[in-house]
Formats: sequence, C-alpha cells, structure tokens
Amino acid sequence: MSFFSLFNKKEKSAGVAKDRLRIAISSDRNNTAYPFMAEMKADIIAVVRKYIQAQSVNITKESDGDVDTLGIEIVIPK
Amino acid sequence: MGIVYAIISGKGGVGKTTTTANLGIGLAQEGKKVVLVDFDLGQRNLDLILGLENRVIYDMVHVMDEEAGLKQALIKSKHTENLFLLAASQTKDKSALVQEKVKKLIETLKEEFDYVILDAPAGIESGFEHTIMYADATIVVVNPEVSSIRDADKAIGIVDAKCERAKENKKVQKYLVINRINPAMVTSGEMLTSSDILDILSIDLLGKIPEDKGIVEASNTGKPIILNEKSNAGAAYKRISKRLCGENVPFEDVETYNAPSLMGKIKSLFQ
Repeated sequence: MSFFSLFNKKEKSAGVAKDRLRIAISSDRNNTAYPFMAEMKADIIAVVRKYIQAQSVNITKESDGDVDTLGIEIVIPK
Repeated sequence: MGIVYAIISGKGGVGKTTTTANLGIGLAQEGKKVVLVDFDLGQRNLDLILGLENRVIYDMVHVMDEEAGLKQALIKSKHTENLFLLAASQTKDKSALVQEKVKKLIETLKEEFDYVILDAPAGIESGFEHTIMYADATIVVVNPEVSSIRDADKAIGIVDAKCERAKENKKVQKYLVINRINPAMVTSGEMLTSSDILDILSIDLLGKIPEDKGIVEASNTGKPIILNEKSNAGAAYKRISKRLCGENVPFEDVETYNAPSLMGKIKSLFQ
C-alpha cells in the first residue's frame, strides 16, 4: 500500500463484487428456482377467478436457511 | 458400494479437471479404490492432465455401447495404485449419452470402486445433466470471481432440480472448493474472501486452494500438483482428500498474505 492510498477512500473491489453478486444471484434464483412457476400461477388465477374477479396474482419467493416460502398475493379491486 | 461424486462448476476453466485429477490421486493415496470418469465428451482432457493420453484405446461411450468391456477401457494411473481412468469419447459428442446407459455404467462402477468421480463438462446443458443425474454428492469448484460464482449457483440449482436423489427427496450434499485464491489480493481487499463466497452460495466448504504457478507445470508434464510435496496447492488437495475420507482436517488459512521480508526479497533475486 502506498502512502497516498491511505487517503484514497475508494471502496475495495471485493466488497463491490459481493454486493453485485448478491443481487444478481438472488434475481437468478427467483427466476429459475421453480420452472413450473408460470404454469402454477396460471392455475391459481383460474381457481381464484372461479370465486372472485382478481386484478392480479403475484407469487413471491423468500429464502430463509433451508426453506423457501412462496407467498401468493391476490389483488382484488374494491 | 462406492460413493459417486460429480465435480461441477458451471463456468469453464476454473479448475474442474485439475481438481478431479488431484482428488483422484489424493483418495487413491489414502488407500481407496478410485475411478475417474471424464464426462466432457468431445473435449477429452482428464487423460492429458493425468499423463495418460497415450494409453486411451477405449472410452466410456465404447463401454456404454458394449463395444468394449469395462476392464479393457479402464486405464491404470502411472502415479499411484488403486486409481483408474475412464476416458471421454473424443469423436462422439454429448448427444451420445443415453440416460439408461449412464445409469448402468455408474451402477457397475459403484460396485467395483470406493469412489466414483465424474468430471462434468462446463455449462449446464445435457452433458452436465447426465453427469449429475446419478451422483450421490457434488463438489462445486469456483474461482473467487463474480462470473464463476454466479454460474456455480446456477449449476447448483440444476443439481437440486434434476439429480435423481433430489427427486427422491434425499439430500444431495454439495461441497465447495475455492480454487486459485490469491492471498495478496484477498488481504488487500481486491478479491472475494472464502467467507464472502460461502455466504453467497450457502453450501459447505470442502477446501481452499491457493493460486500456484506449479499448476501449469503440472499439466504441462501430466503430473498433478498433489504429487509435488512442496506445493501449497498440492497440500490443499491432500487435505481435501483426507476430508473426503472422513478425516477431520482443520481448514488452513490460505488467504493471509505474508509479505516477504527484505532479506527474503534479496534472496529471491539469487534464486
């Protein structure tokens, strides 16, 4: 490390890499974890529509340790 | 009954074949009976890394198609007892792989060997899927570098979806080998640390291998680095082999850079 680099506050590139990777990988995982997601979503919409006119159905995924939690959000117009 | 490990990476060129060759020798040196199978059809290289390129007569496709017997096709290592290679076909591509035949081959190998190690092709296409399909566990090789880590995560996802064990709701163990760690760069914050990588991939660490100039010489001569007693990378592969045999070998710090002293620098001028 040179004398001048002590005053250089530029962020270390390893930290930058870690942050970028986290975001890229979490979006990759959401898109590919369940290949049947699109089909399942269509089925859920079909079931929901039998009972109520939903505006949209969203499936979200959260990972915590060994388990994934899928959340199904059904938006209904008032 | 032996155990089947698939060595995978997603991205090419991170040291998958080198790792396969070194762990093969390491396990055989521990007294295990080991077979290495090169699944990189059309791009055979494991024979070259092991110095066995002149001995390949029959390959795995010959065995699967019953054009050659397994005994005829297995090539004995020059470096150690108990180690055999089943080479990839150089003429047929990955479309030559048929699931049922792959399954039969692996089951036969499992009966004869303690460790069956499959060197997967790079990428995540059909050749890769055939390699992981019947594996009991996978060893994921990464470099401390963004594209390697992202591709590895993708490959791990496919293992979880496509491996037969996973489909039977059994756990497919995934172990991480971090290859080509540059201690000076990690210390100065210019390279991801092993704990960063473990955080992101969240699989179990199997070993850390420092960057080593000797690796090029090892592949030039067909003598894997684990045979070089003085090499740091070789020692790292030895520790991994012992861990795979169930020994509890503590993780060594390969990431802290010890700058050479002035005397050391002067000495190195005369070497």
